[in-house]
Amino acid sequence: MKHKMLKTPKFFKRLKSQPIEVILFFCASFSIIVLFLMLLFTVKEGFFAFSKFGLNLILGQRWDTNRNMYGAFPLIYSSFMVVSGALMISVPLGVSTSIFIVEVMPFSLRDIFKSTIELLASIPSVIYGFIGKITLAPFIASLFGLFSGENALTASLILAVMTTPTIIGISGEIIAAVPKDYKEAALALGATKWQTVKGIVLPLSKSGILASVMLGFGRAIGETIAVLMVAGNVAKIPTPPWNYLDPVYPVTAVIAMQMGEAAVGSLEYSALFGLGLILFVITFIVNTLADLIVKKGSLKRGAKL
Amino acid sequence: MNGIVKERLIFATLGIPMLFCLLAFIWIVGTLLTGIGTVNWKLLTTSVLKGGIFEMIIGTMYLLLGAAGIAGPIGVLAAVYLVEYAPSGKLTRMLDQSINNLAGVPSVVIGLFGYTFFCRQLSLGVSLAAGWLTLALMMLPIVIRGTEEAIKMVPASFKEAALALGATRWRAVSSTTLSASMPGIVTSVILGMARVAGETAAILFTACVSVTRGLPRSPFEPVMALSYNLFVQIVALGTPAQRVFGIALVLFSIVASLAIFAIILRTHYRRKQPWLR
Amino acid sequence: MHVSDDTKIDIQNLNVWFFDNHVLNDISLKIKQNAVTAIMGPSGCGKTTFIRAINRMNELIRGNKTTGEVYINGHNIYDEDIDLYELRRRVGMVFQKPNPFPKSIYDNVAFGPKIHKMAKGKELDKIVERSLKEAALWDEVKDRLHESAFSLSGGQQQRLCIARALAVKPEIILMDEPCSALDPTATAKIETLMRKLSDNYTVVIVTHNLQQAARVSDFTAFLYMGKLVEYGDTESVFENPQSKLTEKYIMGKFG
Repeated sequence: MKHKMLKTPKFFKRLKSQPIEVILFFCASFSIIVLFLMLLFTVKEGFFAFSKFGLNLILGQRWDTNRNMYGAFPLIYSSFMVVSGALMISVPLGVSTSIFIVEVMPFSLRDIFKSTIELLASIPSVIYGFIGKITLAPFIASLFGLFSGENALTASLILAVMTTPTIIGISGEIIAAVPKDYKEAALALGATKWQTVKGIVLPLSKSGILASVMLGFGRAIGETIAVLMVAGNVAKIPTPPWNYLDPVYPVTAVIAMQMGEAAVGSLEYSALFGLGLILFVITFIVNTLADLIVKKGSLKRGAKL
Repeated sequence: MNGIVKERLIFATLGIPMLFCLLAFIWIVGTLLTGIGTVNWKLLTTSVLKGGIFEMIIGTMYLLLGAAGIAGPIGVLAAVYLVEYAPSGKLTRMLDQSINNLAGVPSVVIGLFGYTFFCRQLSLGVSLAAGWLTLALMMLPIVIRGTEEAIKMVPASFKEAALALGATRWRAVSSTTLSASMPGIVTSVILGMARVAGETAAILFTACVSVTRGLPRSPFEPVMALSYNLFVQIVALGTPAQRVFGIALVLFSIVASLAIFAIILRTHYRRKQPWLR
Repeated sequence: MHVSDDTKIDIQNLNVWFFDNHVLNDISLKIKQNAVTAIMGPSGCGKTTFIRAINRMNELIRGNKTTGEVYINGHNIYDEDIDLYELRRRVGMVFQKPNPFPKSIYDNVAFGPKIHKMAKGKELDKIVERSLKEAALWDEVKDRLHESAFSLSGGQQQRLCIARALAVKPEIILMDEPCSALDPTATAKIETLMRKLSDNYTVVIVTHNLQQAARVSDFTAFLYMGKLVEYGDTESVFENPQSKLTEKYIMGKFG
């Protein structure tokens, strides 16, 4: 304990002597200050709803604005349904593609594909939603003989396309970061490229790939506009619960749709902030975990002479 | 020879997902291009009040530039602190971690915060200024990470030579490392702009209103934006008219151009800088 | 082409380029079986590229172009129908910086036999033990086979890498400055090992350490700027060098 206390005064003393360092420090602290303010204000605005409903805000099964009932369970369920559907597609797709890009592709083509993936990643969600609505939704509708193609399946598919670049990007970095020495040693023993990838590269990349999946999860659960445009937006758990062809209403979509009409300070307004708080907490935890996994993984990999 | 054949098969199988990604890209671009007929100079320059999309384009530009103007300097200075000044320890790790956490906050939550903090608490109302601040929050992590990377690639010897001549830390860093990493910094700002150009949820309640209006006369007025209007047109007004295709295509072109420009900039300067590979 | 009885590797007109850089220039020499051959020369003369040409590892580097022939057991390893993976099993390599896999000691040695499907279970255990004994490491690790390879000292890690290479029963062992990252004691152990290994294997080592070449090898080749300047039995090369250049190098006139 003594150690810690000694350090702090020195730190601030130095800060005072160099005004530029104060400015720099302030800029660097911006993120943490903003996060703190976010938490503060979201709790402040959501407090009303939480005090009225308590845990039922999260667990309650009915979300009906007209009757002032705010149970977010169907919404949370919708979010998880859509996100897991998306990840089931994007994780295998993303990981295999990143292995392919890093290990198989000749150098010359690699940059082109990486740039294409980067471009895919920067397409705005409103455009994804637009494309989903006018091409994918009608296609799903005709494929399954539905009246409307706006359901959990379509939302999952669009989300899958949106999260794959994230997974490819991060996994690709991790796989490329495996030290060349190990790969050379394996090849010198007569291993084929695939044996090297399977026996050396992948085991080392496991934690990084897991982290990329978690970050993909975080992105997916926070995705608003694209899902809003294709999910159907009905606040009900599908029947049966795994029916992806039913419409769903993810948490993010609810906030975006209903904020416009919620009167400031009303119960509805507060409930929406409550939802925002839930999202904030979930993504905060997921991101922190992902970072921890990456740190732990790189320690394991780095222990050399 | 068996080993090689099996290997080829495995890698070919891995290549199939890659194909899917390409197909997805082609599908997206292809669909957008079907609307190319609606885009002409007239559409771009006519006011919204007369059926064009001029104000939307300008509005998006305003938002981008303002956000960059805020997130750029703060982000660069933050990155300089983290790379050059920060002592290793718990506090620094927390600062670093919080940047990742900020990057992971869903855009709609940032929008909520923007509304309650910038619009209401700071009394900016639904305005361009509030939009700037909210979007800057989203750009910040991108600029910080990009600048960090750029700074780290510059050899320490430049800075050390300046220090050996008696320069202060800040002088040494700003005159050598920072100027050498400018291309990388500019690239990350452009990438940040590409990210927020299409952002809808964050400006949904902070900067835009659904009433059609002209250009904002001051930063305290709401603004029109391509992303927002595209969204409203489709969701609130139902089946997209031809004009919607035009908005989508213009938005996509802006985002794509920014992204491509950033990529080209990065590749070009990587070749030019003699200390890199 | 006539293979003399004790030639293991017959190199003919070997040229290697990396993009426009002509790294090896028309090298021809015959490496003898069951002997230690040292390749020496100043930094950048192409020594590493030379031995990597024997197990075709140069192909992993961008811009590589190789011409000429390298005959092992009468077959040109650059022929189209050569099984590259079988070649690399038969020609083992130990690197400059010890690079054990981030796995246990046992798994490091077992990796090679596993991928070549050479053994399983108890058979595999036997191979691991044999290899570690041959690399003079068994006694030091027999009680901790399942500990991480990184728990070993630098010298031990290098011997582990040698055991790993031996596990797949090679005929030739290539060593690229295997002792340059090690302290004198560890170096001495490995030099003794090299001599012992040459009883059963053909050992080719790259070294920039003249004394080591003189101590350890039966034959020495001197490379300078990609060309073979001199090659012969070690005693002759050191005491009676044919070329003025070799003489200068041995006298330490340049490095």
